[in-house]
Amino acid sequence: MYQLLLTFKYLTHKVMPLLAALAVTLCTAMVLIVWSVMGGFLTTFLQSGKTLIGDVLISYPTTGFAHYDDLCRRLEADPMVEAAAPIIESFGMLQLPLSGTPRTGMLWGVDPDSFDRVVKFRDSLWWQPLDKPMPTDTKGIDLRLDPDWKSRLKEVRDWGNALAVPREGSPNDARAALVVGVMMGGYNERLSGGVLDPYIFLPGRKATLSVVPLDGRGTSLSVQSRILPIANQFHTGLFELDANLTLLRLDELQAMLYMDEAERVQRDAAGNIVTRPDPETGQPRPVMIRNPARVTTVLVKAKPGITEPTLQARVREIYAEFARANQGQISPPPDSEDKNLQVQTWKSRHGTMIGAIEKEIGLMLFLFGIISLTAVFLVLAIFWAMVSEKTKDIGVLRAIGASRRGVAGLWLSYGLAIGLVGAILGGIAALLIVGNINPIHEWLGRQFGLVVWDPQIYYFSRIPSDMDPIRAMIVLVGGVLSSVAGALIPALKAAYMDPVRSLRFE
Amino acid sequence: MTTAAPPSAQTIVSVSNLHKTYRLGRVDVPVLRGVSLDVRRGEWLAIRGASGSGKSTLLHLIGGLDRPDRGAGSTIRFRDSVLSDLRAGDLDQYRATNVGFVFQFYHLLPELTVLQNVTIASMVRDGLGHKSSAATDKAKALLTTFGLGERLRHRPAELSGGERQRVAIARALINDPDVLLADEPTGNLDRATGDKILDALAKVRAERGQTMIMVTHDAEVASRADRVVNLTDGRIVG
Repeated sequence: MYQLLLTFKYLTHKVMPLLAALAVTLCTAMVLIVWSVMGGFLTTFLQSGKTLIGDVLISYPTTGFAHYDDLCRRLEADPMVEAAAPIIESFGMLQLPLSGTPRTGMLWGVDPDSFDRVVKFRDSLWWQPLDKPMPTDTKGIDLRLDPDWKSRLKEVRDWGNALAVPREGSPNDARAALVVGVMMGGYNERLSGGVLDPYIFLPGRKATLSVVPLDGRGTSLSVQSRILPIANQFHTGLFELDANLTLLRLDELQAMLYMDEAERVQRDAAGNIVTRPDPETGQPRPVMIRNPARVTTVLVKAKPGITEPTLQARVREIYAEFARANQGQISPPPDSEDKNLQVQTWKSRHGTMIGAIEKEIGLMLFLFGIISLTAVFLVLAIFWAMVSEKTKDIGVLRAIGASRRGVAGLWLSYGLAIGLVGAILGGIAALLIVGNINPIHEWLGRQFGLVVWDPQIYYFSRIPSDMDPIRAMIVLVGGVLSSVAGALIPALKAAYMDPVRSLRFE
Repeated sequence: MTTAAPPSAQTIVSVSNLHKTYRLGRVDVPVLRGVSLDVRRGEWLAIRGASGSGKSTLLHLIGGLDRPDRGAGSTIRFRDSVLSDLRAGDLDQYRATNVGFVFQFYHLLPELTVLQNVTIASMVRDGLGHKSSAATDKAKALLTTFGLGERLRHRPAELSGGERQRVAIARALINDPDVLLADEPTGNLDRATGDKILDALAKVRAERGQTMIMVTHDAEVASRADRVVNLTDGRIVG
């Protein structure tokens, strides 16, 4: 009882313990913010990664594989599979409007409908009318809310949905168009709340796309260039994609990369054109063969409740059946033993990165945990000084019958109280900072030119954060325990003071 | 006045051949050298001596704040208990229940109010079984008796020396101890205020039949007691 009374009195009548509580507050807030941001970074990374590539993907880079329609049919017939989408993953050079030099970047050829079924890409189209502002757009400054823009935004939303733009003068005839990431080329300024303000509204403008097709052996053929309209822009939140990825209709990219279905000259294993004498002239003529269309990747989305490893195993089986059924017709002939053929989950696709982030989180927590030990020593130093200051009071308490354990309990309960106050304040501070970390970061940037979060390094254009209640509880309990640990030695010192000397202490 | 009362059923504290030595650096300094005395129930005993004579040490030993030298046959008996045989927890309980200390410099806890400074002794004794309202009522009654009924919410820094000492006496009495141990209770006060404190102690003695052991260097203060023993160089000399 007396411990509670004195703890309350010491807490409300002394400045020094408030310094100890402040140390606990700062350390608790620091660890919680780091864990929340890093945890949020990993969570966002995982969600973004999954959103873009589905649950499992089958890939055969560069040259790709044929008869993918058959593969997709087989996949979608399986009860574990929600949808499958064939795509081409390639690279290209894109010259955007008013841009002096072309830029290289990732180029995906996608079929809009199947791609949307797997990765919901239509939800990521940025330029489409909004009925209400985004939760972060507290001022309602988003262009997409503007009624004057509504019809225009509806139009470009339709273009983006189809990855096509109507030909001038013939609205029923559409031509393939590009959908580029919102951060590509710096045409959009990011305002507070994550709102984008376009310097130049890209949809409707034209860009020049150049690709280098490869033959079956990976040798480059002549560069293919096309001037294509921009249909819309997408936003995933993953900076790497938002700044570097361009989407194009699958059939258009197949044609540019010579991966479409067509008659082509036959080449031998050495790459030489196979010829045959012309029956009429006797002159050697190239032998023509019909090549089926190819893609490099098939994205697979699992039915609800199906785990990725389960789906991965099933997809391997389905692919093996597909390869057997099309034996001799797939060029190059993929099979389940081909090392170039990969059946991966989205996690294993990003495995290196995810592992690195997880290790980095562990390392950061370890380092900040070590730094937080300063709180323990600060509490220890402050309590040591306070115990010295209160030597006479300790003698008085012993004289009126307080036991050693009771005196130790007084200082430990005092440490507990300081830990609780510090941890709760630290938790509140962390909650406020984590909840407003992007506005704070933007303010720091405006006031001091301080850019801590560079999206080119950290992948995401906004600082992700994820205040997990369990993690928060662990950190808060850790903060309280560190304060109690800091109070332990001074408490023992107080308990083992000689009461007679304490009473004579000057 | 006598130097030692014979042990009897009325004896509440009995000190026998008490030795206490402190070590200062490498030197052993004997403070008490074979002190023996008995204190009767309800008696007001004054232990008089010069500074350094060992009188405060004797009081601390009787109060269970310190232990006598081992192996010298030193014994302090409280009723039927030998204090040196008590375990630390029992000695804590002895201090909380059977004795009450009054110090020269009051030793009030500065963060607490007058009322809390008195009730804290009750809290220490009762632990989790503390009954707050009963203790508060009792503390208020005691403080009112000592003329501090209007100062309950004040802090020690807002009181005069005499008032502080009266609060200390109330704290010492809150648990109805068998023995009140007063260490130079007027030593930090002017004569008039000191006399008022002695009057207060005399009133306590008269009203409660309180056994009191008071140490002082002042002969006039000692003369208020029933009996005076003189301590010189760690020995009772008459």
